[in-house]
Amino acid sequence: MMYMLKVENLYAGYGSSEVLTGVSLEVAQGRVVALIGANGAGKTTTMRAISGMLKPRRGRVLLDGEPVQGKDASRIAGLGLAHAPEGRRVFGPLSVEDNLLLGAYGRLPLFWGYRGRAARDLDKIYVLFPVLHERRLQSAGTLSGGEQQMLAIGRALMAGPKVMLLDEPSMGLAPVIVQEVFATIRNLKAAGITLLLVEQFARSALEVADYAYVMERGRIVAEGVPDELYRDERVLAAYLG
Amino acid sequence: MITAQIVVSGALMGLVYALVAYGFQLTYATSKSINFGQGELVMLSAFFSLTLLDWGVPYWLMVPGGLLFGVLLGLFVERAAVRLALEQKSEGWILLTIIVGLLGFSAAENIWGRDDRPFPTPISSDALHIFGVSITPVEISVAIGVFALMGLIELFKRKTLLGKAFEAVSADREAAELMGISATRTVMLSYGLSGLVAAMAGILVSPITTVGPTMASALILKAFSVAVVAGLDSGFGVVIVGIFLGSLESLTSFYIGSGWREAPGLILLILALAARPNGVFGKAGIRKV
Repeated sequence: MMYMLKVENLYAGYGSSEVLTGVSLEVAQGRVVALIGANGAGKTTTMRAISGMLKPRRGRVLLDGEPVQGKDASRIAGLGLAHAPEGRRVFGPLSVEDNLLLGAYGRLPLFWGYRGRAARDLDKIYVLFPVLHERRLQSAGTLSGGEQQMLAIGRALMAGPKVMLLDEPSMGLAPVIVQEVFATIRNLKAAGITLLLVEQFARSALEVADYAYVMERGRIVAEGVPDELYRDERVLAAYLG
Repeated sequence: MITAQIVVSGALMGLVYALVAYGFQLTYATSKSINFGQGELVMLSAFFSLTLLDWGVPYWLMVPGGLLFGVLLGLFVERAAVRLALEQKSEGWILLTIIVGLLGFSAAENIWGRDDRPFPTPISSDALHIFGVSITPVEISVAIGVFALMGLIELFKRKTLLGKAFEAVSADREAAELMGISATRTVMLSYGLSGLVAAMAGILVSPITTVGPTMASALILKAFSVAVVAGLDSGFGVVIVGIFLGSLESLTSFYIGSGWREAPGLILLILALAARPNGVFGKAGIRKV
């Protein structure tokens, strides 16, 4: 099995508080892996420690076999990891199209001709999310929450990443929009995107995932294919009730 | 007619304030820090440019040389005074940039002496009369230089991918890093640009004001007032406020007395601070959330 992302015994925290105490997980190429658990279990911290937004204190992060732990977030992004962070974090003052172009920052010329080079990838994103095409000249801050989430995902896709981290894409969205977000995730899966997904809606996440990890107080307490987790009484009671 | 004349020459000085204030905005956008030694950058670049002229470098070659020197000074300030403080998330850059400025001041006194020196320019100082207002080509060159440089930098920010990355770091530094944009390098870029802007201000204003170690101390206070009043967000607000303040100053100087010249800037600054109880940088801070 070829692991695009492999996390080994990761420790990380803020100030004097240790949030992650030995997290290990693996994401195989082309698979969707879900990371579920209660609020405060350390899911977002795990994502941040993988992408370099937070420097891990111990442990290793292997991206396509290459250790990247301790590198700057911008370096790790350049090596092929796209992190669509919690809260979407689109560049509000910039246009939708500029947000997408910046997603491909690492592989485009910095001064001239970047629009032409990105045209085909932009078109693909616009096919996937027609609403982004409609609003491409609008500033990203004027989009609705659901549209901003589409933009955050599209921006991450523009990088042509080896692995995408998608943190709480359904957060704060209306139920109808949440359905759309999960439809999008199924599309990503069908397109062969390697995805690590953090979700509060554990059931929906397990429906789309090939494999899942359950986190509790900074460590992984259960893992397996979704069917196995559904049979695990403890997991069922705590997260899938 | 005399009033129009006074407003025009005041407005031209105001454009120089605006240019220096624009330099504050550039670094504030990317790093929420500003170089309190910016005035010394103006002065050092002016002295360096004058030295190039003394060496016999032609004026039009001196200009890029002086501007490059300003860029290097800006990068030096970032490396020596700002980066360390930002990495530790401290406000130490305030003191450190003041210290670097003081060192620059001492260096200038030791290298070039304390006297004010004239700054030769091939641009004519013979007044032209336009609608009854007399204006010299040197003064016109100030206006052209200010607008050209600000226009070019704004064009860079809007039209190039690197410029968009600059805007992305200004909007959300962490998210920009996730796109593979190095925030550290973007902050360097902004300090380089603010050095460029300072050098341009020095080269433009020196033929009018002469060059001396203290040439920028008054300039910097007023540029700061302009930046605070206009807001530290990027934009051409500084131009409006700069022209307003410059005109107000020369009117004050003429009708009330030259001793009161500095008063409008200070009053404007105090009013701006009073209108913003969150402090000088308050508004931008709130908007960010």
